[in-house]
Amino acid sequence: MAATNDIATRQAQNFVAGLAGATPLGLSSLSDEGRAALAELPVPTRRSERWKYSPVTAMLASPVSSAPAPKSWPESVPANPVPGLDAYRVVLVNGHVVPEACDLPVADGVMCMPLSQAVKEGRIAPGDEDWTGYHKREWVGAVNAAHAQDGLFLSLESGTSLDRPVLVHHHVTGADVASCPRHRVCLGDNARAEVVLWSSASNQASGMVNAVLEARVGAGARLGLDKVQHEHGSIFHLAHEHVTQGKDSTFRIHTLTVQGHWVRNELSVLQHGSGAHTVMHGAYLPKGSEHVDNHTTMDHTVPYCTSSELYKGILYDRSTGVFNGKVFVRQDAQQTNAYQQNANIVADAGASINAKPELEIYADDVKCSHGCTVGQFDDEALFYLKSRGIGDRAARALMVQAFIGDVLEGMGSSEVADEVASLLAERHGWM
Amino acid sequence: MLTINNLHARVEDTPILKGLNLQIGPGEVHAIMGPNGSGKSTLASVLAGREDYEVTAGSVDFDGIDLLDLGASERAREGLFLAFQYPVEIPGVSNLNFMKAAVNAKREHQGLEPIAAKDFLAMVKEKAALVELDGRLRDRSVNEGFSGGEKKRNEIFQMAMLEPKLAILDETDSGLDIDALRIVSEGVNAMRDAGRSFLVITHYQRLLDHIVPDFVHVLSEGQIVKSGPKELALELEAKGYDWIKEPVA
Repeated sequence: MAATNDIATRQAQNFVAGLAGATPLGLSSLSDEGRAALAELPVPTRRSERWKYSPVTAMLASPVSSAPAPKSWPESVPANPVPGLDAYRVVLVNGHVVPEACDLPVADGVMCMPLSQAVKEGRIAPGDEDWTGYHKREWVGAVNAAHAQDGLFLSLESGTSLDRPVLVHHHVTGADVASCPRHRVCLGDNARAEVVLWSSASNQASGMVNAVLEARVGAGARLGLDKVQHEHGSIFHLAHEHVTQGKDSTFRIHTLTVQGHWVRNELSVLQHGSGAHTVMHGAYLPKGSEHVDNHTTMDHTVPYCTSSELYKGILYDRSTGVFNGKVFVRQDAQQTNAYQQNANIVADAGASINAKPELEIYADDVKCSHGCTVGQFDDEALFYLKSRGIGDRAARALMVQAFIGDVLEGMGSSEVADEVASLLAERHGWM
Repeated sequence: MLTINNLHARVEDTPILKGLNLQIGPGEVHAIMGPNGSGKSTLASVLAGREDYEVTAGSVDFDGIDLLDLGASERAREGLFLAFQYPVEIPGVSNLNFMKAAVNAKREHQGLEPIAAKDFLAMVKEKAALVELDGRLRDRSVNEGFSGGEKKRNEIFQMAMLEPKLAILDETDSGLDIDALRIVSEGVNAMRDAGRSFLVITHYQRLLDHIVPDFVHVLSEGQIVKSGPKELALELEAKGYDWIKEPVA
């Protein structure tokens, strides 16, 4: 079996060679560490438990390279893809921020700018270039650390809040393009912000998006993320969000995979202040031969915290899905209330889902519940709807909308939720 | 309105309907009674287009249309309605959205524009009053958490909304207390008119005290074995089903 690994390693070396020319973000120690780690860390193949159902082997087969910074935002793509959404904007093409299409907030206590600018202005201290060490653990993390391009830098002083969400729109255009956006969000105590992370890609786009977001949510602060993946073309999308929460803080994320050739979302939340509350909800509706993987980790380390996790998936055609939900309740995390639910509908015979809840509980006075279901459309309910004159397609649409409705409902922005609903309706012919 | 001729149907390999004949004229109310396992609910399911049943022979003419040629939703749009014996709970689909989709599907079939929101709400209010279905139940997910009586009232509410040409009530009286039975029956009676027919399937005579039929049929072993005026129901109640087992010639 060593030979397989060698092939993967060689392929991986070849794959990242095209990234060497990337414009360095200027986080030099992170970049150095990333390069060093790339030489050491194993490439995620089927042999690794964490990547068993999402090996990157297929991605490695077509080497990618970083694209030069675009001259302007592409005319055919709306910078704000959400009709009616009143938001600040940080927009990127192929990993590069396009400054003239951005719209940044200017307010006391608020710093919102491209990450590259924050680096230039010396707002990131040496030694504080990353908060998670993800690049030391995972090959894909090392790829981002070594080749990070640009992204959102959002920092709110204590007690400040943004009057509008910040929309971070990443668009991919071109073939075999590597994009490595990197975002950093820091909310001071009692600060509040909503961020919309939107990723799109043109029809002919291919390559890799390798995105990292690190966030710190201060005591009593609230951070909300609406994350929407709507990529045409054939992109391998690797995303990693890592959030650390302080005392009595709230973090919410909704991850909606509307469309994506191959998607691996890694979400990791660490509560290290008591009374923190976390919401991680998501929905995925792959079709064709798409692949969507959601790996989540909820880490309760201190007492009196809560978490609510709900992921729902409908898998069509020959698509494949993965859900892996780790919940840790550490020894000190007494009075934790953790909830996890993953529900799947396998709509067609060729589709499949690998779902795995993983709870590790070391405290004795906690409430943890989890459930995982895989099923099909309820024929009796379908017949009931049809018996009232509703056509088969419309009946299925009603049931699907009902199924994912409770995920969409909790999103931070109703405009984003509406747009997701309408994109899904269009894509699946529910109109 | 409805002419059933020599209908045979089976579930998997088990024949259930074995040559059923029935004719229902416009505005008529027909009751079908019969012992358990005689095929009453199968008849309702076959007419409504449930896919688990296979029709092996016979024909059903519904107001000039070959009913068996249509799918379940098309039958409904043509004006057939089945009030379920066991109404289905559908979490997440609101009763109102459900009805709106159903009303508009029918309107589209008739070449009409979707109903205006204001007209729809007025219609809901009017029809819900027929069966005393309060706002709370109208807005909730379809049948979710409804009591047995509420579910049956919701069936009649839906029937009133869709104004069918032929309504089949499949053991609508099961699971109803006396008050709910009265409310449901009054709802049905309010909808009786010269153009609308009913097929009332029931095990017990008591429903027919409230919804008085024009004709009563006895179903046994997949065939109508006896037909008569409404008094036949009383006779059945008194004597049971054993005295009529042989099919009429």
